[in-house]
Amino acid sequence: MSRKPSSQSRINTRQSNQKKPQTRLRTVRLDEGGEPPAKKLRPHNLKGKGKQTSPPACPEDDRLWVDKYEPTTEADLVVHKRKVEDVRRWLVEAFEGGPSGKLRKYRRILALTGPAGTAKTTTLRVLSHELGFEIMEWRNGMNERGANKYVEDLEEHDYGSVQPSTEAIFDKFQAFLTRAMSCSSIFSAGEPSTSQPPSSSQVSRSTPTLSSYSSNHATYPGCPQKRQVILLEDLPNLLHAPTQARFKAVLESLCVTSSPSIPGPPIVIIISDAGLRVEHPDDESWDGGSGGRRWGRPDILDIRSVLGPELLASPYVTRIGFNPIAPTLMTKALQALLVKHFGPQVSAAKPPKEVLDVIVETSKGDIRSALMALQFACISPLSGKSKTKNSRNRNGSRSVLAVLEVVTRREQSLVLFHLMGKVLYNKRKHDPPSSHMSAKEAAKERELDDKLVDSSPLPRWLSHHERKVSRVSIEALVADSPIDSGLFGLYTHQNYTQFCADIEQCDGVCDGLSWTDWVDGSLSTPYAFPTLALSTLHALPTPVPRLGQKVCKPAWFDVRTKELQAWDAVGDVASWLAHADTSPSPGDAGDNWGMDDTVSIGRWTHASIAMELGGWLRAMDRSGSSLGRHALPRSHKLALHLSKDEEDDGKWWAEVDDIEDVD
Amino acid sequence: MSLWVDRFRPKTLDDLHYHHDLSTRLKALAASEDFPHMLFYGPSGAGKKTRINCTLRQLFGTGVEKLKIDQRVFVSPSRRKLEINLVQSSYHIEITPSEAGSYDRVVVQDLLKEIAQTQQVDLGAKHRFKVVVINEADFLSRDAQAALRRTMEKYMSNMRIILCANSTSRLIAPIRSRCLLVRVAAPTAQEIQAVVEHVARKMKFDVPPEASLQIAEDAAGNMRKALLVFEALKMQSPDLSGPLRIAKPDWETYCHKVAELIVQEQSPARVMEVRAKFYELLSHCIPPTVILKTVAEKVAERVDEALKADVMHWAAFYELRMRLGSKKIYHLEAWVVKVMCLYKHFTYNFDMSEFD
Repeated sequence: MSRKPSSQSRINTRQSNQKKPQTRLRTVRLDEGGEPPAKKLRPHNLKGKGKQTSPPACPEDDRLWVDKYEPTTEADLVVHKRKVEDVRRWLVEAFEGGPSGKLRKYRRILALTGPAGTAKTTTLRVLSHELGFEIMEWRNGMNERGANKYVEDLEEHDYGSVQPSTEAIFDKFQAFLTRAMSCSSIFSAGEPSTSQPPSSSQVSRSTPTLSSYSSNHATYPGCPQKRQVILLEDLPNLLHAPTQARFKAVLESLCVTSSPSIPGPPIVIIISDAGLRVEHPDDESWDGGSGGRRWGRPDILDIRSVLGPELLASPYVTRIGFNPIAPTLMTKALQALLVKHFGPQVSAAKPPKEVLDVIVETSKGDIRSALMALQFACISPLSGKSKTKNSRNRNGSRSVLAVLEVVTRREQSLVLFHLMGKVLYNKRKHDPPSSHMSAKEAAKERELDDKLVDSSPLPRWLSHHERKVSRVSIEALVADSPIDSGLFGLYTHQNYTQFCADIEQCDGVCDGLSWTDWVDGSLSTPYAFPTLALSTLHALPTPVPRLGQKVCKPAWFDVRTKELQAWDAVGDVASWLAHADTSPSPGDAGDNWGMDDTVSIGRWTHASIAMELGGWLRAMDRSGSSLGRHALPRSHKLALHLSKDEEDDGKWWAEVDDIEDVD
Repeated sequence: MSLWVDRFRPKTLDDLHYHHDLSTRLKALAASEDFPHMLFYGPSGAGKKTRINCTLRQLFGTGVEKLKIDQRVFVSPSRRKLEINLVQSSYHIEITPSEAGSYDRVVVQDLLKEIAQTQQVDLGAKHRFKVVVINEADFLSRDAQAALRRTMEKYMSNMRIILCANSTSRLIAPIRSRCLLVRVAAPTAQEIQAVVEHVARKMKFDVPPEASLQIAEDAAGNMRKALLVFEALKMQSPDLSGPLRIAKPDWETYCHKVAELIVQEQSPARVMEVRAKFYELLSHCIPPTVILKTVAEKVAERVDEALKADVMHWAAFYELRMRLGSKKIYHLEAWVVKVMCLYKHFTYNFDMSEFD
């Protein structure tokens, strides 16, 4: 009844079992409440176990379809075979060391990335069934502990006995990792847990939240050498810089220090890609400025910020990216699921094909959301129990569609390039359909045109601003945009020239960009995006001539990196100048100018180095051989710079900053 | 072995080669007990820093020449660590807050407060105060300037501030009014020539007068540039005879190319070419303001009289936006496109009137 708050399920051991499906942990948790979990959970599990043979739509089974029909074999997965194969190979190599047996050492961390709902976790779980390993998962247990404490307080009114652990979450995490690493030997080294009959072990196996060490009792008796994988999906708060640093340090130490002969279990990190959308980018990190370095701050949690560049580049980390699920695969899977749920015969409750199509389309490759939508579509009473006639049924399905449109429509983000196309092609009412367009699309456009209302004509003195009504709805564009105004500006800037026929049009677009940047710099406004879109649309020609334009990524990012590197190089030169003076080289000792103690530290600003020193350095390089007597106490980098610069002396654009290229 | 510019930099006020009036005034100031806050301004390469250092030497003696470089870490409000290089002696400290980018306020505040709250412990020191030299003061953000203003009032007893800037226009009025303004004008060609010849004498070689004159004229009042060019030329052709070919800095040639591109053709494709050039310049740390100025001057040279004013007007217009905005390239490009438009319309109208 009263569970110790400290013994939270920090280690959730999932047992693999070829025949029996797993209960999703999350579902179990929802049901938990204050009741003894075992009582409540058991029936669920039993039902879940028999789901493949159970009669369709069992009324008591109120679990979500996502959990109920979670795939258990690779055949059920909607992931591309090759991806699964990649993950499997990695796991096998992690356990067995690949063909040479040496790979094991380097198969320490596997990072699975991809958008949400692309079956990353499920793939791992399916493979755990197939390859027979346990998954030990870390969960941040903070909320849960609070809730339990509350329940206990209510029930027992015994405040003294409740000693909430004051351990910081991250310490727990660290403890979890080290324990998981070192405990592998205990779990696997022929544990005497076979006293329990198999049936009970199965039960406890499927209720892993019971206690943190339920795994002790649940070790699969038939397999003495149990393989394990540590799963990190619920990461500690990595936006907090110190935590992030510690996290990286822990991972690094796990990679390096684990003994090569028996490395601990491999770690699998699952990271869902967050959208790109941030409305307040850290602009200071981007603006090139008055000669200063800027500090950027990554606000988005993605693989790079989680693992950091060093770890990512190290041989211990492998990264496998999952793509959004292809519509064909998803349709197939949904159909199979419907067959499983309703049986092969045609049922009135079964949603028609159009509904399925809408679901697949709106889910954008997210299988989880597609399943949710599908379940929703099936329970919806709108699907008409009484409407048996065919025409009525179609009517019903239409209303389902309408509801789905409203309810399940996720925040549909336009694909970036689609967004750019929408803006840059600047389609307006009564534009002739383009040549490659199918009749259906053209009809759609005409339909859209009919809906557009012409605005009242402008007065004569503004007549040069007269435009046809745009087919692009700015509001929808802003709502659907996957990027913020800053990024949108960069993309527009990179690509607008291809879409302009004339320099005047360029002027409009560019002035809009400049204006938005200017206004946005002083006060960050929510209007930046729509203003930018409007000014661009207003300035572009209608219709935009189709010349096979290609929208591409802004060159700005590369330039920015180059610029930062160049600033670093300038900084190096500055310190070299300072040190050249403070430590006169022995070669100079003979020349008795008596001036060698001159100090020029700090007298060179970075800007003046960048602008004025180039010629001198070049001259220096050219006559490098004749000046050999005064061996410069130059840094290693500068020495490299010399040799490099002589090589491409013909290149007329060579500057101080070429130093960095060598590095 | 160091640069001639650094090696032959005058160290005392008496050694200075030009602006002798200013030197005497500075000397008098240093002798008096109430040394004010100061603001040195003037074009780059005019000798502002040299004068600042000479003044410090006059104030404190040779002790100011014992310098050490420190790296200090400041923590911004968002817990970001900033590393700033400090150059200091026991009497003064020199910082370039613009290196901290938009966090310069933190640097200015923390550092000044720290210095201001510590007393001079050296009993042999000539003055009780320490001097803080702030380089590139005109790049200080508004925030930093406001912070500075407050500190200047509060800690006058322990500290003096010497600001070094290219122009006073970017400093807020309260700061300007709290400082003694010292304008260091660019040296004339003759003065530069004299210095070049002085350096040559020190280096024990002769420089033909026409060569030194050419160098001086080319430098356009920038002493540092003159000496750098001089040294580079000397390295290339040791006897400095014959007609000298003074190479312009790469970025300048590059800017001229941009101007040419703008005048030659006005089309979206050309905008892309210009942008590529701008990107190249920006990625080599050439300040965008300098780019805009150089290109605008060059364009103005090449266009018709009637257009010159417009070209400059728009350059100023977009320069302001560039300062307030964050993505420099937008504004550079907006200016280019604007000028292209103007130019195109101008030539177009011109042709029409001819045909009428």
